[in-house]
Amino acid sequence: MQYPDNGGYMIAAYVVAAVVVLVYAVSLFVRIRRLQRP
Amino acid sequence: MSREKAEALARRGTVLTAVALLALAGVYLRALLFTPIERFQGPAQKIFYVHAPAAWSGLLAFAVTGLLSVLYLWLRDRKVDLVAAASAEVGLAFSVIMLTTGPIWAKPIWGTWWTWDARLTSTLFIFLLFVGYQVLRGAIADPETRARFSAVIGVLGLVLVPFIHMTVYLFRTLHPDPVVMKPGAPSLPGEMQVTLFTSLGVFTLLYLGFLAQRYALAVLRDLKDEEAGRAVS
Amino acid sequence: MGDGLRAAWAIAGKDLAIEWRTKTALVSSVAFAVLVLAVLYFARDPTAVGAVDVAPGALWVTFTFAAMIGLNRAFLLERENRALDGILLAPVSPRAVFFGKLAANLVFVGTVELVSLPLFVLFYDVPIVRGLPALLGVTAMATVAFVAVGTLLSSMVVRTRFAELMLPLLLLPFLVPPVVGAVQATARILAERPLSEVQGWLKLLAAFDIVFVTISTLLFEATLEE
Repeated sequence: MQYPDNGGYMIAAYVVAAVVVLVYAVSLFVRIRRLQRP
Repeated sequence: MSREKAEALARRGTVLTAVALLALAGVYLRALLFTPIERFQGPAQKIFYVHAPAAWSGLLAFAVTGLLSVLYLWLRDRKVDLVAAASAEVGLAFSVIMLTTGPIWAKPIWGTWWTWDARLTSTLFIFLLFVGYQVLRGAIADPETRARFSAVIGVLGLVLVPFIHMTVYLFRTLHPDPVVMKPGAPSLPGEMQVTLFTSLGVFTLLYLGFLAQRYALAVLRDLKDEEAGRAVS
Repeated sequence: MGDGLRAAWAIAGKDLAIEWRTKTALVSSVAFAVLVLAVLYFARDPTAVGAVDVAPGALWVTFTFAAMIGLNRAFLLERENRALDGILLAPVSPRAVFFGKLAANLVFVGTVELVSLPLFVLFYDVPIVRGLPALLGVTAMATVAFVAVGTLLSSMVVRTRFAELMLPLLLLPFLVPPVVGAVQATARILAERPLSEVQGWLKLLAAFDIVFVTISTLLFEATLEE
């Protein structure tokens, strides 16, 4: 191996970040939608 | 703000966020597949392309909340409070990303889950300030009092963070870490720099999109409360 | 100016007189101090960790909790007697009100600290005589720091739900610079190092004091308006 075998950490971090971003984005979208429904 | 304007802002914000999310997917692809792996730190080093920009967005959000808090105490304009609060909530989300990716990055790179370095520690306490800010807002019914008290916390927080930074810095210089602490942004080769700066741009865009949406949400809520009040009376 | 000072004095006096009548908070704080000192003493491997290493941290956890109890007590008093309304009706400047409350809180916390200190020396057997003035100075600086911010925060929190939970949550980040500075300075003082070694921390404490007492005074008015 040329480099340390820590790809698992990389995947974990990228997944966690994506999840937080998406959850927050969806929460905003849903909350706005709820207020727009007449 | 009229309902039409608020809904227009919400729409624009949603579009901006959607664009930023697509761009984020692009950054992910570039970082994971098309950016070289750092030889000594391995793939885990790539977490940096997400961790650092999230920290930047969190700090930006905090600065905005802090500065708008000062502005609110001067102008007492409700809109200023709503933007400050919107920025605080968005900042909370970015702080969570920073505080979760931080340990996941630190463990393989520095061998420990948490390093009490100036940046991580400051962000931890910014996070706690944000949490306190939200809790305080939730506990006050009157909008004017809520705005005023939030602004006080905002200003206090703004003044505090440099002191926390200083505290950690003092601690570090008097107690040098046995592990050689590489600064967050070492001189990166060209390819990596491009990825980093692209990611910074995307995260800033994401902040703006979220901010617009969250502010529009606050205004819409306000309008709804007003309408409900009128309906009841 | 004289009016303000007199008013502040009166407010502080009333606050302390009420506390002195029952002394509940004072007694609980001291009891708590003994508990904390004892637990932290026993929570270590005595063959590996000397009492003197744990001492500064133990002392400052004790002092910080004393401050929390003191601040809590101060606003519970306000709430129960709706005293805040009474103070607002009187023609007293907000600055005077703030200094009055701050003074009362400082006297309370200071008293607990002065009582805890001999207990601390007793339990941890630390050499305190030569460093006493420095230690008292550091203690005074750090205490002023977090009691000033705490007094401001408690005036906001008193009118909210879950006030007792809210105060520690909001105050916590503001404890970091003064308490870390105080612990570091205390450790050096107890180790009988020359004061020049703690210069950095002393400057941090002093700067924090100046900045936060000023800003708390200025912001206090914003927590009072109708």
